[in-house]
Amino acid sequence: MIQIDMEMKAFVSAWKHCDYISTYMARMISQTRSDSVRHSNLFSSAFNELLEVAFRTRHADGELACKVSRHGATDRIELTFTCVPEERQFYGEAVAQAAGSGARERYLNSVSGDIAPSREVVLLELAVDYGATLRVEEVDGDAIKLVVDLPLEGLQN
Amino acid sequence: MSSYDFLPRFKARYDANSQEFAISGVVRPQAIDELGPSIALLRDAIDRVRGVLYVNVRRLTQMNNAAFHAFSRIIIDACRARPDLKFVVITSSVVGWTSRKFGRLSGIEPNITVEEYDSAFYPGQGFLEEGGFVPILRTQTKMTWRHERAILPRHGMRPGIVMADICCGIGDFAVLVQKEFQPSRIVALDHSISSLDYARRVMREFDIRGIEYTYGDASEMLLDEAQFDLVTCRHSLQIFNRPELILKELYRICKPGGRVYITNEKNSHCLGEPRAESIRWTYNEVAKLFGHFEMDVELGPKSRRYLVEAGFEDIRVETFMVTNLDGDPQDFADVVAAWADVYAGEMATRRGDGPEFVARFRQGFQDHIFAALHPKGYAGWPIWVASGRRPQ
Repeated sequence: MIQIDMEMKAFVSAWKHCDYISTYMARMISQTRSDSVRHSNLFSSAFNELLEVAFRTRHADGELACKVSRHGATDRIELTFTCVPEERQFYGEAVAQAAGSGARERYLNSVSGDIAPSREVVLLELAVDYGATLRVEEVDGDAIKLVVDLPLEGLQN
Repeated sequence: MSSYDFLPRFKARYDANSQEFAISGVVRPQAIDELGPSIALLRDAIDRVRGVLYVNVRRLTQMNNAAFHAFSRIIIDACRARPDLKFVVITSSVVGWTSRKFGRLSGIEPNITVEEYDSAFYPGQGFLEEGGFVPILRTQTKMTWRHERAILPRHGMRPGIVMADICCGIGDFAVLVQKEFQPSRIVALDHSISSLDYARRVMREFDIRGIEYTYGDASEMLLDEAQFDLVTCRHSLQIFNRPELILKELYRICKPGGRVYITNEKNSHCLGEPRAESIRWTYNEVAKLFGHFEMDVELGPKSRRYLVEAGFEDIRVETFMVTNLDGDPQDFADVVAAWADVYAGEMATRRGDGPEFVARFRQGFQDHIFAALHPKGYAGWPIWVASGRRPQ
C-alpha cells in the first residue's frame, strides 16, 4: 500500500501534480506485476484521470489523500478530496451510472457529441475501457472518497 | 523549475507522402488551448488529404480524456462533413489503453477503423520472433555465454548495477547475467509474447528474482529515460530494418555515463574446415537472404559506425569466435542444423528459391556440421561485441 497526502491548496497549484503523482504511484504499485512496465502505463493512464477530476474541483481548502493498494489481480485507488454537498450527490449519481448497463452507450454518446469530457464521462470511461468498479464512501467533513478497483492485470494482453 | 518542464512531452507531425498524422509522447493538457498547433496540424491534414488519412498513435504513451475528446471531435466532425474520407487509426499492442480508447471511435463512425500495428514495422522479423527460432536462441546463448561472461566486465557489467536487456528473447541471457553478476535490477524487454511467456515460466520454476520481463517495441519503449547503467541488445540490431531507431532508444534509456552493449554477426565470415568452399558459399548466401528481408546479418563490423552516429563515446569493439572446440561440438552442430531449418526452409521458400538452390544452400550447412563434428575439423561463428558510453 502506498499513500500520498497533500493539501488541496498545494495540489491545485500546478496541473503537473496529476501527472507526477499518477506516474510515481503507478511505478510503485506495478512492481512485481507480470509486466510491470505496461501495468504502470495502464495504471497511470487511469489514475491520472481521477486526479484530474479532483484537480478540476478547484477547491483550495482541505486535503487530498491518494491511497493505492493491491488486492490480488486488482489495484484499488482510494482518492479523498474536498467536495461540497452538491458535488457529493453528483459523484454518487455518476458512480451509479458507471455501474449501470448503459455506461458504454453514454460514454460513446459523449465522445460523439460533447465538446469536452465531463467529470461524469471520465468516470464512465474508467468503467468502460478499464473494467473499473467504482463506489463512493462517506468521509467526515466536506470531502468525498472515490474508491476505484482496477483489474489491470487481466487487461494487458 | 524541474526537469519536467524541459522535457518535450509530445510531438505531432504530418507526412503528406503517406497521408499520415502522427502524435507521440505524453499528452496531458489542462486546457485544449495547449494543443492548438497540433489540432491545427490535424485540421490542415484533413483539408489536404483524399481517400484515407492515417492517424498514427502507436507511439502515444499517454493521452488524457481532454486531449482524446479534442482530437476525436475533429475526426468525427470530419467524417460527418466529408463522407468520402476514411480514417485509419493505428494503435500499438504495447500501449494497452490506446486500442481500447481509440477502438471506440469505429463504433461511432463507420468511416473510422482502428488497426493494432506492430509486426509489420519490422519486415521479415516474424521468422525470428515466434516459435521456430527459440531452440536456436537457447543454444546460441549457451555457446556465446562462455565468451561473454569474460567480456562483459570490460563493457560496464558489474554487481549492483541497474541494467536493461532489450530484445531479450526467451530471457536466458538475463538469467545468466543475474546468476553471474548480480545486478540489482534487470528489465528485460521483447516483442515476442511467446518468448516472454517462456521466460516468465522459467523464472517462476527456478525461483529467479530480480528480473522484470516486459512486452515492448524496442524502437519506442515505455521505459523512462536515463535509468540504466548498462543496456544490452544482443544479436538484434541486425534483424531490424532500421537499427538506428533502436540505438536511439538504447541511448535514451541509458544513464549519462552508462554504457550500451551490442553484439552482432557477420554471417559471411562463418567458416569451417574441411569443405571450406561450400560453407563459405552458403553463408554468403545467408547474408543475401537476410538482406532480401531487410535484415543485415553483416552488421557486426559496422557496430562502431552505428555507435558513433548514435552519439556514444569511448567506443570499445572486440570480436570472439564461437567454435566447435567450445564445449560439446554437438551444440555447434545443433545450432547450424537449426539455422538450416529456418534459412533453407521457411525463409528460402518465402523468397521463392528453387529446389536446386535450396539443395546447394542446405549442403553448406551440412558441411558446416560435418566440419564441427569431424575429429580433425574446425568450425567457427564470429561475433562482434561493441559498446559505447553515453556522454555525461
